[in-house]
Amino acid sequence: MTQTVVKLIDTTLCIGCKACEVACQEWNDQEFTLGTFGGTYQTMPDLAPNFWNLIKFNERETDGGLSWLMSKYQCMHCGDPGCLRACPAPGAIVQAKNGIVDFVSDHCIGCGYCITGCPFDVPRLLPESKKVYKCTLCSDRVAVGLEPACIKSCPTNCLTFGERTEMLRVAETRAGVLKQDGHAQAGVYNPVGVGGTNVLYVLKDASDPAAYGLPADPTIPLSVRLWKGPVKWLGTMLFAGGVLGSFFHYLKFGPKEEEAPEE
Amino acid sequence: MTTGLARYDFAERAIHWLSALSFLYAAFTGLAMWSHKLYWLAGVFGGGNATRFAHPWAGLIFALVLGFMFRRWAGQMRLDREDRVWLRKSHQYAMNQDEGMPEAGRFNAGQKMLFWLQSVAAVALLATGVVLWFPEWMPRFLRLVAISLHPLAAVLAIALIILHIYMGTAVIPGAFRAMIHGRVTSGWVKAHHPKWFRLTLR
Repeated sequence: MTQTVVKLIDTTLCIGCKACEVACQEWNDQEFTLGTFGGTYQTMPDLAPNFWNLIKFNERETDGGLSWLMSKYQCMHCGDPGCLRACPAPGAIVQAKNGIVDFVSDHCIGCGYCITGCPFDVPRLLPESKKVYKCTLCSDRVAVGLEPACIKSCPTNCLTFGERTEMLRVAETRAGVLKQDGHAQAGVYNPVGVGGTNVLYVLKDASDPAAYGLPADPTIPLSVRLWKGPVKWLGTMLFAGGVLGSFFHYLKFGPKEEEAPEE
Repeated sequence: MTTGLARYDFAERAIHWLSALSFLYAAFTGLAMWSHKLYWLAGVFGGGNATRFAHPWAGLIFALVLGFMFRRWAGQMRLDREDRVWLRKSHQYAMNQDEGMPEAGRFNAGQKMLFWLQSVAAVALLATGVVLWFPEWMPRFLRLVAISLHPLAAVLAIALIILHIYMGTAVIPGAFRAMIHGRVTSGWVKAHHPKWFRLTLR
């Protein structure tokens, strides 16, 4: 039986070393493109088609000081991926049995619907190639029994990798420890609106995911569900009804003949 | 061949067929992307990338041509009081009980409704289509609106066109010829557009 794999991010252990960013670029053979300096410690302000993993230095003011709420911004490998729901090209986005959501460039038509379907705003379109890119959870490494590059490089065990139920247990245990340490709001980020995510976070303050740059209650956009649901049913009904209705209308009523010609 | 009466001049026929071809191209490539079950259509049009590339251009050409059509016909498409009676009795028209129908002018009320509904659909398709064409430049809110409104408008437009093609080719003999050659017999005009015959052709 294939196990579902999970990347667990214990944000309380992140020291902002960015080794995972480097490992990601190295393993996926991405060139680094200079971005803009946003006045923070972040490498880049945002993800890019050739930059799939960003450590965010979320700043939060405390009494007389500043605290960093570290978070790792990448594909969440949702249980019910909005990108996959929105994608019109069969095979361009695949969800493997181990839970990894992967983009297959050969089948990608560059429409960008996945960008709109994603509640986490992760996929990025490269205009030159007209293809969309994002974190693969190192599906090529996982396939041969290796852990993803970011996890391999993490020096603090902030990032760990394993089977889903086991990682959920580890995450809950860690959140319990944090609670005992006085972080009453500590908890696990595993939003149910997208069928759970195979990237889990332990947050010191799970009551406010937005402070970490994470949506509080992500869901597959209503408009994508409307298109894939009611609009599709309506269309199927009208198209089939139109063709069949025309056919039987013709059988029943036939053409509108003119009166007998006068000339 | 110059027998019969002139129904559509060259410009009208050219506009009609340019809009028809661009519509069909956009519709079939659009259907390919509308449902995975119809994605085989993308193969017919040169594959997924070609489909994604050509669909917006076909749509843009359709919108431009429809602009010309609008300028040409909008004035003749106004619905008057008799047209409203016609629409209320349209079920009789559908059952070929044409005796009680109000006399139609150059265009009957059904054709006028097609014109206006297609115009509305085309505006919606163009506006949402531009948003979907360049997702990287569009705010998320607009993309979300467009991703459901574009297929909805397309569904209505295609459903109307199925009806239009059926009526133009099967229900009204001579209508298809009129749109190709431009001419119809006087009997045809008296049968289908009697008011137009009385007011302008005699």
